[in-house]
Amino acid sequence: MRIFRKRIPEYLITLFAIITLNFFIPRIMPGDPFTFVSSEENSVSTVYTDEEVARLKAYYGLDKPLPEQYLNYLGNTLRGDFGYSIYFNDTVLNLVGGRIVYTLPIAISSLLLSCLLGCLIGCMSAYKRSGIFDRVSYALITIFSQIPSFLIGVFFLFFLAGKLGWFPLSGAMKAFATYESGFEKLRDILYHAFLPVLTLTLAHIGEFYLLSRNSMISVLSKDYIVTARAKGLLKKRVLYVHALKNAMLPIITRLCMSLGTIFGGAVLIENVFNYPGLGTLMRQAITYRDYTLIQGIFLFFAFTVLVMNMIADIIYGKLDPRVEL
Amino acid sequence: MKNFLLFYKSSSISGKISMLMIALVFFVAVFGTAFSRHSAFVPSDSAFVPPNTEHLLGTDDLGIDLWAQICEGAKLSLTIGIFSALLSGIAGSFIGIICGYYGGFFDKFVMRVSDILIAIPSLPLMIVMGVFFGAGIQNIIFVLAVFSWTGPARIARSKVISLKTEKHVLVAESYGAGIFYLTFRHFLPEIFPVVMVSFIRLVNRGIVSEASLSFLGLGDPTAKSWGLILNHAISFKGIYFTDFWKWWLVSPFAAITLTVLAISFIARDAEKFLDVKL
Repeated sequence: MRIFRKRIPEYLITLFAIITLNFFIPRIMPGDPFTFVSSEENSVSTVYTDEEVARLKAYYGLDKPLPEQYLNYLGNTLRGDFGYSIYFNDTVLNLVGGRIVYTLPIAISSLLLSCLLGCLIGCMSAYKRSGIFDRVSYALITIFSQIPSFLIGVFFLFFLAGKLGWFPLSGAMKAFATYESGFEKLRDILYHAFLPVLTLTLAHIGEFYLLSRNSMISVLSKDYIVTARAKGLLKKRVLYVHALKNAMLPIITRLCMSLGTIFGGAVLIENVFNYPGLGTLMRQAITYRDYTLIQGIFLFFAFTVLVMNMIADIIYGKLDPRVEL
Repeated sequence: MKNFLLFYKSSSISGKISMLMIALVFFVAVFGTAFSRHSAFVPSDSAFVPPNTEHLLGTDDLGIDLWAQICEGAKLSLTIGIFSALLSGIAGSFIGIICGYYGGFFDKFVMRVSDILIAIPSLPLMIVMGVFFGAGIQNIIFVLAVFSWTGPARIARSKVISLKTEKHVLVAESYGAGIFYLTFRHFLPEIFPVVMVSFIRLVNRGIVSEASLSFLGLGDPTAKSWGLILNHAISFKGIYFTDFWKWWLVSPFAAITLTVLAISFIARDAEKFLDVKL
């Protein structure tokens, strides 16, 4: 496999660069977890005495010279040890693991939903190009995809959850609820996840719609589609079997690549709906200047995105033998 | 100016409305605070006054005039959007030109860096950097520019690589033209339209990012930003049970949505007018 020789080193370099960046950003910036910098400059209010700060810094290894800290950090990270959260009294791995069970389902289900819906509408749009359906859906979707996702979220939160009371205002499950059956629990989870998923889906439907529409339009003009139609096959069969199979190529790669951007969107949307995933954890970590936790979450995001991009590369190489990687 | 009139004539109805809309936002941003009778920072009436002739958009929970706050927000949004786009557009074009013209190690290095920047999820890193650097306007502009220069750079680079082998450029080179002459005489005029479209899109990106950050409460807490007004309104306890949302929530919401939509319509028309496909 050529790809493994050529691309894997590139990904490793990228990962290395991200870890290095991740190490240096908090250290070149003002403020640290022990001395909270207030909003006015130059006024530092300390909650610890100097001796306590020195002791804590020694405990966390922050008193050592920078190169030594860096090597320690690199070694620990590569061993899968992301350290302890300074604020939450738990390992970063546990904290991230506890929240990822909320973020991942939301991100993946809205990604799949937006891909599915986007492709479906895109195919129908492309089949009758410049028809009424095409023009209306094209205009609507291009307008909607321009509106920032958190505004769509605020809109849903305010009207559907706040004014009409159809959906909960925050959380992932009813607080202190006891469930009689697993089914009831599942229903409650879906009920709470509905609006975040809907918002993220709407935010990403546009890119899949445009991609599948363009891809479909170019495929539909090919000779084998004319042949399929001439054979008298059903419209459905021509569209979803003959054409879609060949138009899927760019869509599948985009699916893998989009997981990264959808994580970024999830950070915002979770905060809109107060959903207890990684995004809300990240916001908390930032208010408490919890170095290790911020680094851990960020590293997790970056690592997932890299892996997804790599999978996209591999899949693309498999699906389209013409591509020289 | 002549080009602008041509562009205005060629654009669609939605594009024309958008241009008027943006002109209005500009006007409000520049002159709005001079015209509004109340301060955007100090209470001027009792809290939750509905819109009337005295307070065009009513007042918020502290009795501060909302119209004045929206004007301040327009100033902030446009400043951040335009300056971050200018910075990344100019820096990106020149980096792209140098990469495309010289190639070699520098080119490889820069392209690798831009690959890394594209792979990193930008919003989380922007949150982290914004918070640690402090939330001032210059910092937000800087952070946005760090993430956005890759777009113009790639466009400029690929354009220069194809231009480099064109005959008129080769002739100029054989007469001893250096990179400065080539850049200003031959490369920039060719690159300008494409970078212009990406510039308009970057303005939008800047405005949206600023609004998102300040909506999360991670922007400058003292600046009157549209995102921050929205944040205050939605986290106010009684917002769901009272009529205050009709002016307090709707005005920043409409301001962000209309501005962003207008700019994207202009970008779409500019793409058609300048005949570029990004």
